Parts: sequence; C-alpha cells; structure tokens
Amino acid sequence: MNNLIAIFLGLAIINNFIVAKFLGLCPFFGVSKKLGNALSMGLAVILVMLIASVATWIINHYILIPFGVEYMDIIMYILVIAALVQMIELFIKRTNLILYNALGIYLPLITTNCAVLGITLINAGEGYTLLESSIAALGGGLGFTLILIIMSGIREKLEIADTPRVMRGLPVAMLIGMLLGLTFFGFGGIV
Amino acid sequence: MKLSQWKGIYPVIFITLVAFVSVALVAWTDSITKAQIENQQEQKIQSMLKEMFPDMSRYTLEDDIYIIYSDGAEVGYAFLAVGKGYGGKISILVGLEDEDTIKGITIISQSETPGLGGRIAESAFADAFAGVNVNDVALRQEGGQIDGITGATISSRAVVEAVRTTAMEKVKALKERR
Amino acid sequence: MGRFWKELTKGVVISNPLFILALGFCPALAVSTSVDNAIGMSVGVTFVLLGSNLIVAAIRRAVPNIVRIPVFIVVIATFVTVVNLLFHAFVPAIYEALGIYLPLIVVNCIILGRAEAFASKNPVLVSIADALGISIGYLLALLTISFIRELLGTGGLSLFGHELFTLPVLGEDPMTLLILPPGAFLVMALLLALFRKLGVMKCE
Repeated sequence: MNNLIAIFLGLAIINNFIVAKFLGLCPFFGVSKKLGNALSMGLAVILVMLIASVATWIINHYILIPFGVEYMDIIMYILVIAALVQMIELFIKRTNLILYNALGIYLPLITTNCAVLGITLINAGEGYTLLESSIAALGGGLGFTLILIIMSGIREKLEIADTPRVMRGLPVAMLIGMLLGLTFFGFGGIV
Repeated sequence: MKLSQWKGIYPVIFITLVAFVSVALVAWTDSITKAQIENQQEQKIQSMLKEMFPDMSRYTLEDDIYIIYSDGAEVGYAFLAVGKGYGGKISILVGLEDEDTIKGITIISQSETPGLGGRIAESAFADAFAGVNVNDVALRQEGGQIDGITGATISSRAVVEAVRTTAMEKVKALKERR
Repeated sequence: MGRFWKELTKGVVISNPLFILALGFCPALAVSTSVDNAIGMSVGVTFVLLGSNLIVAAIRRAVPNIVRIPVFIVVIATFVTVVNLLFHAFVPAIYEALGIYLPLIVVNCIILGRAEAFASKNPVLVSIADALGISIGYLLALLTISFIRELLGTGGLSLFGHELFTLPVLGEDPMTLLILPPGAFLVMALLLALFRKLGVMKCE
C-alpha cells in the first residue's frame, strides 16, 4: 500500500508531469481560461493515460516480453495510443457533442501528448505491475490536470495584468510554470 | 480484379508493406546491437568492482553477493544496496573487506538535487565509509563516524540506512554460507 | 539547387523549431541540463528527422490518403526505435542521460509536423534540406539553452567527459536552480523575451 501511495504522490506532485518532467506542455500553454475546458482536457488525458497504461502493459507482458521483441515497444505503444484516441474521439462525438466541440482540436492532439506515451514508457521502464501502472497513470494524470486547472485560473488574472509586451503569452506562461515547479519542489521528501 | 476493388484494398496492402519493412528494419537493428547492450551491464559492474578492489583477478556471483578473488584467495565481497532518497532510488555498490568491515561504497545511480543531495556521489562522502564496521554505519549526528552532506540530510541518511541494513543482511548470509 | 540551400537556411533561423515554431518543448527543456545531453538529443532528432523526411518524401505519391497519418507514425516510430537501440549500444552514457526523452522523439511535434507539412508535399532532395535545416536550428536552440544552464548552473562546462573550464566565482557556488526543472522554464522564458525584444520574433 505504501508503495502505491509513493508511486501516486511521486508522479502527481513531486515529479509532476508538467512542471518537473516537462511532459504535456502543449496543452499547458494552450489551456483556456475557462475552468470547464481545462477540466475536460485534463479528464480526457487521464482517461487516455489510464487505458493506454493498461493496454500497453498487456501488450508488454503477453506479447513483447514472451516473444523477446521488446524493441517493438515504441512502435506498438504509439499505434495503440493513436487508435485509442481515435476511438475515444468517436465515442465523445456520439455521446456528448458539446464536449466534443469544446475540446476541439485538442482531442486528436492527445495522441502526440508526451504525457501519454511518457507514462507508458515510465511504467515499462520501472517494471510496474498492472496495478502499479494504473496508479501511476492516475497519479500522473491527476497531477497534470491539477496544473492545468491552476493555470486556467491564473490565465484569467493574466489577461488583465500589465505584462511587458515581450513577455506576453508564452514567456510569462513559462515563468508561471517555473513558480509552480518551485512550489511543488518543496513537496520532495514527503515519500 | 476490377479497378474499384483494387483501389479498396490498396491502402491495406500499402500499410502492411510499410509495417513489414519497419519491423524488419527494427529487428535487424536489434540483432546487431543486442550483444553490445547485454555486455554493457556486465562491464559496468566489472569496472566498478575493479575500482573498489584493485587487485581483483576475478569474481563470482552467489545469491546476489559478489565474491572477489585475487589469485585464488577470497579478498572481499560486494553487493548492491538500494536507498530511497529525496529524489528517488539511490543505487549503491557496497564492498566488504571481510565479514565485519566495509571496504567502500560507490554510488551507481541517483537523482538527488544537484549541488546538495547530489554530493553523495562525491568521494569525500564515500570515503567516510571505508574501514567502518558493518554494525556502526551511521551518521555522525546519530552516533556514527560518517559526516553527512550539509543541507542534504535526507540523501545522506538514505545512503547510510541502505548500506547498513543491506550490509547486516548480507553479512548474515555470508556467515551462514560457511 | 538554390532551393536546397533556401530550405536549409530557413529551418535554422526563420523557422527555428524551438524559438519560432514553438514546437517540441518537452524534450528540449528536459535534456538541456548539459551541453553533452543537448548534443546527444540533437543527433537523435537529426537522424529521425532526416530519415522520416526522406522516406515520407520518397513515398509521398504512393501513400493512399486514408492511411497517411498511421504510415507517417510507423515510419517515424521505426527510426526512433533504431536510434534508441543504436544509442543504447554505442553511447550508453548519453542513452541513460536522455532517458525516456529519446523515445519521446516519436511524439515530438516537430517530426510529425515536418512530415505532414513539408515532406509529404515536396521532392526528396528539398525535404532532406528542410530536415537538415530544422535539425541545425534545433541543435543551435538546444545549445543556447544548455550552454546557459550548464555554465551558470554548475559553474563550468564539460564536453563528453572533458572538463573545459570552471568559472571563478560560480565554480564554487553555482546557480543550481538553473539545472533544475524550474530553471529550464526560466531560461526559456528569458530567451523568448530576448528574441522578441531583438525583433527576431513577433510579439503576441
């Protein structure tokens, strides 16, 4: 149990995907100031990360390792993720058109999101069991969503702040990433 | 075959072909690199052991303990210890002179804060372990002889704890081996 | 032939992948902790980009539209896997330093972006030029970031195991923040602001 908590907190806070591992930066910089959209994006990513982790674990343990073809991992993982995102996109389109329109282009972009492939590589590299992989995906995804939510709130204030012209947009977003990262740094040593 | 049928299955044929070529290329690369990669792990351990035991002539691995030989005589032992540091796993190679004394330690891998906890990889910290009795491995502020890194107590303690607990475990195993 | 050089130089400055196109941040920020790693990463990206642009341009007429993206993904993933294996076998130190960021090249927006936007619509030779240009641009960008981070963050520079020099004051008490993750954000933000101030980039 301790082990699972360590994995969860480790990937959610201490080694946060966005501010510590730099995975999933594109959505971070592009996130809107609407809390709803940030939340939807985050949840979509968590879902993909979770399913991808399970799917790739199965592929790893029942196909790659038994046949000794671990080197096929990158190709297989990315294809699985691409297929998954397609399926989820279709599913959301059929069931919740409003959400589909809100997420817009960001949904297919989850395929190239470093966070998704990242968690599958982390799981494989650390040799996590199926349960550990799922917890890791959940932790990483929640940490990712947390940062997105925080950022969407800050964005709102940013719009009316008097930012120097050269810093507007990307640079100031990066500085906020730095500050958030520094704050989360303090959590190191919890586990 | 009608043109319309051909147009239908052409994409499938194409992507199958691409997949085929990809797999072949990757498999070929794997075959030419496999031996090299497998060697590396072994070579890494060997060079670390050689550095710790300069007059080592060969070594064997028994139940996770490396037995170091120098021209037929057992001159020492070594084993891997894992500590939980500030930033994650710390891998340590611990060398024993005999069943009671530490010969030295080498930090194999760590992800502590550079400049603070990262300094556990410096020789100053590692040297303090040389000659210490297995039961006395402790930080100075906890009654032992090892100076921790200033401002990096967690990292220092992680190493010390890992070395002591694993050492006591392995020493017990060594005594039973006889 | 003129077109070759035009595309090549375009990728270096005008369409610099990191600073102008703002693509592929994830690995860039992560590996720029030292110049060694930056060079290693750039070599990896170069190999993959060259390979994928070449193949995509070569087969661009034969690829059916429906399977376009999956084919590109498989091609890119193949080259990334090859690079991963080669690095693991022949430069293990760099391989371990780059960690998961080397395989993550496969989702690097730069690679897929160039394949989709350029190589699928242009002949082989020009696509190679584009790949080279973008790669050089990437290398320069990474070098800039990692040079600053390593120099100020560790107080010195070392190249492939050889210590080049250490600075007088910073050598003992370097700005460690810079080689930590938040430091990457800081350096990047300041560099972007600098380029905008210099007029190389447009403000928003």
